[in-house]
Amino acid sequence: MNTPFKTMALAGICGMAAAAAQAADDSRIAMIPGGPHPYFAAWEQAGADAVRDFGIEAADYKVPQKWELTQQNQLLESLLSQGYNGFMIFPGDPVGAVSTAEELAENGAQVIAGAGCFKDPSPAAFCLGTDTGNSAYLGTKELLAAMGDGEKRIAHFTGFLVDPNTQLRIDAVNKAAEEAGATVVQVIADIDAPEPAEEKINAYLAAHADEVDGIITTAWVPAVVAANALRKMGDTGIHMVGIDHDEVVLTAIKDGVIDGTMLQNPYGQGYIGTFALDKLRSGCTVKDDAPFASNALTDKFIDSGTSYVDASTVDSYIDAMRAESDRILKDFEATYLTCN
Amino acid sequence: MLQISRLSRADWFGPLLATIIAIVLIQSFSATFLSAYNIEILLLAIAVNALVAYAQMIIIAIGQMNLSVGAIGGLAAISFAGAMEVWGLPAPLALVFALFIGVLAGMVNGILIRITGISAFVITLATLSIYKGINLGITEAQPFYGIPESVKSFGSAILVGPIPLLVAPTIVVTLLLWFMLRRLPIGRFILAVGSNDHAAALSGISVSKTVIAAHAISGLLAAIAGVLVVARLQIGQPSIGDDWLILSFAAPVIGGAILAGGHVSTMATMLGVVIVAIITQALVLFSIDPFLVQVVLGAMILAAVGLNRLRARQPLKGSM
Repeated sequence: MNTPFKTMALAGICGMAAAAAQAADDSRIAMIPGGPHPYFAAWEQAGADAVRDFGIEAADYKVPQKWELTQQNQLLESLLSQGYNGFMIFPGDPVGAVSTAEELAENGAQVIAGAGCFKDPSPAAFCLGTDTGNSAYLGTKELLAAMGDGEKRIAHFTGFLVDPNTQLRIDAVNKAAEEAGATVVQVIADIDAPEPAEEKINAYLAAHADEVDGIITTAWVPAVVAANALRKMGDTGIHMVGIDHDEVVLTAIKDGVIDGTMLQNPYGQGYIGTFALDKLRSGCTVKDDAPFASNALTDKFIDSGTSYVDASTVDSYIDAMRAESDRILKDFEATYLTCN
Repeated sequence: MLQISRLSRADWFGPLLATIIAIVLIQSFSATFLSAYNIEILLLAIAVNALVAYAQMIIIAIGQMNLSVGAIGGLAAISFAGAMEVWGLPAPLALVFALFIGVLAGMVNGILIRITGISAFVITLATLSIYKGINLGITEAQPFYGIPESVKSFGSAILVGPIPLLVAPTIVVTLLLWFMLRRLPIGRFILAVGSNDHAAALSGISVSKTVIAAHAISGLLAAIAGVLVVARLQIGQPSIGDDWLILSFAAPVIGGAILAGGHVSTMATMLGVVIVAIITQALVLFSIDPFLVQVVLGAMILAAVGLNRLRARQPLKGSM
């Protein structure tokens, strides 16, 4: 377990000790990403910590072997047959995954969406994730500010097109650029894997580096690859804002290679998601008037938090993530649930 | 004229012509295409992709297919990176370990195919899942970051001009493969088994040993590719190899390999890799939607298979 996540876990223990007594004693929670990806790794420790803190029987992180909806569906059905009764799912497809979620719900399991949302209507009680559109929008704003005056031409490197968040991110970057009179000169998508990202980002920069003033990346691997590419190219004058907290990205911020990164809160998603599923299992229901936010996919959205980190705050980024988790968890039950 | 006619019948002639035309066309539209930096990027892609294509080519040569090429490469890659980070092995020992994993995985494929008599398609489909599962079980989808500076330096070093050092292993492998398939008994056995395994057996060739050897070589090549990717990316990503399947078939087929077996060309496969790399990069250079890369690759495979079929129907005229 990474030290940052240990620190964050400890922060939640004290406040949650009392909640353990109210936990369902037979909750077996499964946390399922869309496929293998480092972003979701924090879910595993978050589940283990939630089991310890809330007295839940099990909260396991299970990964489909590939980013394919069929593989995710098979895994979900298999886990249901093994007795899991609460699921936090990153939908492999926002629409295509709904039928399997319905199957889980029909068999008595509780379902929420984590990190990415189902398209309404779905049986998911709510969607707990980064407001990806807002994160991309804010990240682009930070990039534009870092670029200063003059011409602003932006290249946007983003993730899988099957990821329900990708289109939201593309739209948000375009919106922020448009508001500032900047131009998004290129969107390269479907590169959230190392080899295509390496090949396409480097090919693009080789040909167009002098036609770009800033880079915004809204997926983990492109952020790493673009940071490495800028380091290798030396002083290009290109500004960049990345996403997430990969070591390569954080080091690039410290070294002044890139300007900053937009943090997400995967640990908080796993910890709070497990807590919420257990509550739903124990008889709590979602309040009719719960103050959910909306995005392009759902009207039952809870923002798990995002924050910008630059060279001045990169050493204390853990605090930023912990503050977001604490803020949400503090009054989650009172805000979103009705428990007798 | 006779010589040109003879050359035009060689497997590599068509891909070479296509490569030259593609380079001239793209350069005429994008002056940066042949810039030193772009050539370096192109060569880095070709260095790895050629090994991936060879790993499949050697299996196509025996008339089979290996769906687990990417999974073996990925497993070798994380073994290489993991051995250095977790066990603290020096890079050369980790390299030997990773190559051993690749050979072992390939041999398991070959042994299972021969023992069970089940088609290579089914066996390698199953082992793809097993090898990928082992990969994810070990890494839990987390990259290995502890790559030593010596490996990172190797991955980013320049041999001369715009030529990266990473192409050196690929050049050596290309020459060895070419020599093996043309001159060494094992190479001739592989092609003989691919042409007609019954006839090969009657002429004293051990089909089982040949099939197992071909799969072991395929595993070795996939493992070398995996190691090179780790050096290039400077990170041991569990998803290494996930995208290799289409390319691994596309390049040999574009290079004139006959899927039924018995006929492959190392040089033409290399040119197939070059064509795919050029087209992939051209689509980025011209700011075209990356999705079109897959469309073009698919179309190229169809076209190449169609041309091969036409060529197979042509009566042999003066072929010596």
